[in-house]
Amino acid sequence: MPKCTIDGKEVEFTAGENLIKVAARAGVEIPVFCYHPGLSVVAQCRMCYVEVEKMPKLQTACSTMAGEGMVVKTNSENVIKGRAGTMEFLLLNHPLDCPICDKSGECDLQNNSFGYGNATMRHSEERRTFVDVDMGPVIEKNMNRCIHCTRCIRFGDEIAGIHEMVAVQRGNNIDITTIDGKQLQTEYAGNYSDICPTGSLTLKDFRFRKRAWMLKKTASVCEGCSKGCNIEVQHEGNVVYRCVPIENQQINKFWMCDEGRFNYRYTQDPTRVLEPMKRDAGELIKASWDSAMESFRAEISASKVSFLVGTDLTLEEMATIKEFAGLSKITVEHFGTQGVESTAQDGPQDTILKMKSKTSNLNGAEKLGIPAYSGKSSTDTVIVFRGGRAVLPAIKAKKVIGVGVFLAADTAGLSLVLPGFSFTEKDGTVINHMGIEQKLRRAVLPGGRCKAFSEVLMLAMNKKALAGAVS
Amino acid sequence: MSTPLSNKFYEEMKKLESRYPNKKALILPALHQAQKEYGWLPKESLAAVAEYIGVHEAQIREVASFYTMYNLKPVGKMHLKICTNVACCLRGADELMGFAEKKLEIECGETTKDGLFTLSEEECLGACTAAPAMMANDDYVEELDIHKLNAYIEKIKEGGVRS
Repeated sequence: MPKCTIDGKEVEFTAGENLIKVAARAGVEIPVFCYHPGLSVVAQCRMCYVEVEKMPKLQTACSTMAGEGMVVKTNSENVIKGRAGTMEFLLLNHPLDCPICDKSGECDLQNNSFGYGNATMRHSEERRTFVDVDMGPVIEKNMNRCIHCTRCIRFGDEIAGIHEMVAVQRGNNIDITTIDGKQLQTEYAGNYSDICPTGSLTLKDFRFRKRAWMLKKTASVCEGCSKGCNIEVQHEGNVVYRCVPIENQQINKFWMCDEGRFNYRYTQDPTRVLEPMKRDAGELIKASWDSAMESFRAEISASKVSFLVGTDLTLEEMATIKEFAGLSKITVEHFGTQGVESTAQDGPQDTILKMKSKTSNLNGAEKLGIPAYSGKSSTDTVIVFRGGRAVLPAIKAKKVIGVGVFLAADTAGLSLVLPGFSFTEKDGTVINHMGIEQKLRRAVLPGGRCKAFSEVLMLAMNKKALAGAVS
Repeated sequence: MSTPLSNKFYEEMKKLESRYPNKKALILPALHQAQKEYGWLPKESLAAVAEYIGVHEAQIREVASFYTMYNLKPVGKMHLKICTNVACCLRGADELMGFAEKKLEIECGETTKDGLFTLSEEECLGACTAAPAMMANDDYVEELDIHKLNAYIEKIKEGGVRS
């Protein structure tokens, strides 16, 4: 392998790697704005200056490929001066509104200014200001904060496959906007906010809700579809504030779709059922766990029962339910997305990330040998185990009991509801469409009086009400 | 097929194509040619240029808005572009601009009601040796002063614009 020297450290590299990547391996961080590992290289921001021996001027590390025997310095006097100069220019028009900016705390501009810029500025002229267009329901634009890195334009063009952002005018008047001020079309708009190195493009959903540094971060997996994008659930005080993608080159690279990004909302929906509910004279009424379990047990032992498990459950949950069902010879079938009953019917919904199966664990259900819901086996009672995302099919039975996550709107046909954990509230394993096993992690505690499926089943067994099932 | 650009545009482009390494390099001459047809560049013509070049319309928008020689709004018959960059500014371009605004009774960037004049500001015409300079349609008017500018405007008002 060829070698080059970065800040006195010898590093191996493969041909075609740029100096930022090589330096990162040597433990040297080079500040960047316009460079993004998932996008093309344009060398516009001039922040990644490095000094390369035998080259007369400072070079941009993002567009300079490492060469055999290259000697690179990233903290020489020239580089330090160059970076400070770049920072001064970038901040000429940047408002000092960090205290009210949502990006504050996770802002590249703020970090690099602190790390590499001057503490004072010499500029006293008026800053340019813009009137901003509405970019639709996902992104809030603030052009005054923009530093023209064009990451958003390249993301749209190269990843989202829609060239909807443009840089019009030039120099001081440059405006990054949409064509004719249209609203954003892409279903991946949330990524614009993630890759923006300043507070120019922020999420409307997250706006003014929490400071970035207060958030606790739990790495988990998106349950939006069978892709299994890696996400970080960001929460504080037992409230989830947002989900952002984390890098996984095998699955989602750096991105995620808006459907998955905002999927967490239902877990905090005010109409979510958080108490055991029993139907009495047509109305669902709050009940104690004891009396709810009493009805549950009576139902299981008395009538002919079948189980329906959502493909939004974790492997562990499915296996527990299957084992329980096996003891008392109850049939188990799965449901999840209408029209997608097996992995064979699953497939990409677009050319980017989205899959047709809108639950995370269809593959897992199949691996456990659970068949899809056919509607043929007619039983008196159907017990539905649902993680919150799977779409309830039309069920033909005298009684339907729901265990898991339901919103008030889902409970119309249910005679008994036992509240359970949603994907941000439990640990577990899911298998994505490629067969990769990934872990969900508990980020927040469930509210109300929710119980895990295993606990519900244990309560059902311990009273020994299930005739013949427990020896 | 209805297209906002005439056959002449496509004939001209055909002639130019062989002179450029690839079609993308034709964006600037294509925009010039399209502008000749209307005197400015309506959105439909930008879309037609994009289709001809084979790039997304957004890229044509970016290029067309970057260069000040492309008009994205309708302009008068005589488009006066007064340079206000350093050399011209030092030689009194701001006074010239103020005078022209008063004389034509419009603000910089506007068009007179009779549609004869459009006045705009230009960043360096590359005529620093003859500052202050102005571009009147495709002609340069150099070493301007208020009297010369006044006379030039009067001449156009009387005699109209050569086509």
